[in-house]
Formats: sequence, structure tokens, C-alpha cells
Amino acid sequence: MTLSDQEVQFFVNTIKNTSGYDFSEYSEKSLKRRLQKILIDNNSDLLTLINKLKTNKEFLEKTVKDITVNTTELFRDPQIWQTLRYRILPKFSENRNINIWHAGCSTGQEVYSMMILLNELGLFEKAKIFASDLNTDALDAAKKGNYKYRFNIGYLDNFDKVIKENPFNYEEYNDIPYSKYFKIDKVTDSIQMNDFLRQKPIFRQHDLVKGGNLYFAKFDLILCRNVIIYFKYSLQNKVFKLFHEHLYTNGYLVLGMHETMLGEITSKFEKKGQAYRKK
Amino acid sequence: MYKAVVIGGSAGSFQVITKILSSLPKNFPLPVLLSLHRLKHVRSGFVEALSIKSTIPILEPYDKENIKPGKGYLAPANYHMYIELNKRIALSTEEPVNHSRPSIDLTFETATQAYRDKLIGIILSGANRDGAYGLKKLKQAGGLAIVQDPNECQVKTMTEASLKLTTVDHIFTTDQIINFLLKLK
Repeated sequence: MTLSDQEVQFFVNTIKNTSGYDFSEYSEKSLKRRLQKILIDNNSDLLTLINKLKTNKEFLEKTVKDITVNTTELFRDPQIWQTLRYRILPKFSENRNINIWHAGCSTGQEVYSMMILLNELGLFEKAKIFASDLNTDALDAAKKGNYKYRFNIGYLDNFDKVIKENPFNYEEYNDIPYSKYFKIDKVTDSIQMNDFLRQKPIFRQHDLVKGGNLYFAKFDLILCRNVIIYFKYSLQNKVFKLFHEHLYTNGYLVLGMHETMLGEITSKFEKKGQAYRKK
Repeated sequence: MYKAVVIGGSAGSFQVITKILSSLPKNFPLPVLLSLHRLKHVRSGFVEALSIKSTIPILEPYDKENIKPGKGYLAPANYHMYIELNKRIALSTEEPVNHSRPSIDLTFETATQAYRDKLIGIILSGANRDGAYGLKKLKQAGGLAIVQDPNECQVKTMTEASLKLTTVDHIFTTDQIINFLLKLK
């Protein structure tokens, strides 16, 4: 089944007119794919779906959740976490507080990655962790901090690379046990984050399309990884402006491995790899 | 008259793709879109390995990057690579499709929507069925479909799956693929 651009537009307009959500500045290709998947999963055609969206608020909320992509990992792209560990977070070590916002945190794996790293650096207590996503189901999963073990066995490799090894000194090896941060249970196929981590973040629903700062805070560090790839260029720029506004000078924005800033906004940041320092 | 070449490959395609990229002229007139499967834990080093012999620059593009002729765009590890109608790259971390991310089908399908009948699609050696559906879409839209000769493939599954689904324009050996690309203007 292939939807036309007009059909996708029809869907976007329906959502916009019946709810507070606006997908009109989402990247077309992935939006179309998500919508196709929703139609297949619901065994529905577009008109039936549209009618149901107009009359059933719960169904609309569920559809909005299904539109968003929620793939994430513990310490995804270890080299970025090594940069955070050795180059970025130490800059904040003299701060009284460190405010960190995970924008679009999905099911929370990177929120836990950050807290583990902060704890290893002795910065856990002074850090405030804010984490937001559009999808409340993803946020509930993030609060639980429970992940499948077998499917995510790569988490442990990533953990070793970032926490146990030092890429700048191969002789260094810190044998930090996983149990310091999470409990692995192979029988129930689970990785459960420890309570001291779970209790720390302030999780809130937030829609980057609407902008605004729900935490009324400024940040030293904003992570927004593999979120803006689902946005059109115009919306990407709005989001970058929002981040710029809510970062402290010399604060950092960290994007996904293949995300980049384009255009005028680049003059307001200094790019260092995947990290952007606010000038 | 063609505007882009899209190539899909999996197990057994690395040497083929290297040979193709090393044989193109520096001023190759089209962009080359590469959707290649890699070993699960090999996330870096691939673009460097391809670049060593390639005559055209090979890059793992950023999201929203403009596609330009004479460059090779390699789908980054663990991302799907789509082509938007405005000829920009769009990346996605959506679930793997047929156990594959990047999905060759998705690159081919979206490239077809962007380039329509001005697209050349090439399926190389591989051990799964990815690409067959995408090549079918490409052919239906009037693009030119090429499949590596299964007899030459290290693993035939992928090319045979494509041939089963689509009546292609050419079944070519690696050398024939290269000769064909060299004639493009």
C-alpha cells in the first residue's frame, strides 16, 4: 500500500484540527511510512482511520504515539559518550549545579547512560536531570527503567567502552560491575535500572513542535539525539533556536551521529564533532 | 538522461562495490546512492574502507544533506537512508525492515519517488531478499533495473529474489556493470 502525498496531508490536517498536535513540519518520508504502518497494524483504510480519529480521543492519542519513532540504546554511539566523559562534562565540574535536558528522551536509555556517567565522574549529586518526550508511553517506560536483555545485549558492549575502558589510555581498565547501576536477569530477560537512578530525573511530556520551556530552567547541556531527523528543515531550525535560548553561554547541545545544523543558526554555535557549544 | 544510480548490496558485495567505485571517472555525472548491509557490530571504518579505492568521494551523509552529482552517499550504520522529493537525504532510526537497517528496499523505493524514470538501480550479491521489492518499484516507475549475474555472486539469494520479482533490463557481471556506468553522460 502506498499513500499519496495528498493523503498524508489529509491525515496531518485531521490531527491538527482535532487535537493540539501538528505534524505538518515532520519529514515527509518517515511520516508516510509511519502512517502506512499504522494502517496495516489497524487493518484499516485511511478514511476509516480519519473518522475514528475525529470521534475517538483515546484512539487519536494512541495514533500520535504510534507516529513517533522510539528507538534508542544505552550509550548509543560510544564515541559521543566518550567525548561527554572526557571533554564536555569535566568543564562543568566546578559548577554548583549542572542542568541537563534530554529532549525527546524516548524510553530513557540515554537518560540512564548520562546518570551512570555523571556518577562515575562524581557529578551525580550536583546534576539535575530533565527528560521530556511527546510520547507518554515512552516516558512511562523511561520511568520504569526496565529493558529487554537478549534484544539489547549490545548495551553491555557500549557500557564497557564508555565506563570500563579509556580510549585515550588503553592500559586503563575500570572493572565497574554492571550491578552498580542495573540488575541483569537472564531468566526474565530483563535489565532493570537501580532505584537511585530511576528516582532522579524529572520526566515530563513536551512537544518540541509547540516550543516553550516546560522546566523554566536554563541548561548547561541539552541532548537531542535522533529526534530532529524526523523534522523538516524549517522545524529543525525552530528547535535549534529554542535550544539556543535555553542554554547557558558555553553550554552544549549534543545531536545524533548524523544530525547537523545548517544555515544561519550555525553562527551562534561552535561545532566540535557532534557537540555544539553556545557562543 | 539519468539523474542518479542507487546500489544495494549485502554479503559478498564489498569487493564488487569496491571495484565499481574504483573504476568510475572522477567526474562521474551522477550521484551514487549506496544502501549496503554491514556486519552487525561493524559500525565504523566502512566508509573509510570504501574510500581507499574509490575515485569519487564517499560519504556517510548527514540528515537533510543535499545530494550532488559525482559523490557517493553511503547509508550510515544503523540508519535507514531515504531520498526526499527535493533531492535531500533523510535518515531514520525506525525499526529494521526485514531485519535490515539500512533497508535497501526503502532506499530504492524513496529514490524512485524522487527520481522516477531517471533512476538506475543495481542489486548486488547478498544473503537475503532485501532490495527485491525496491527494485520492482523502480522498474514499475520506468527506471532502469540491473542485477548482478547470480553466477558471479558470492551469495545469490538477493539477486535471485530480485529476478524472481522483476523482469530486469540487464543481468550483468561486475565488468559489464562498470562498462555500462562508464558510458553514462
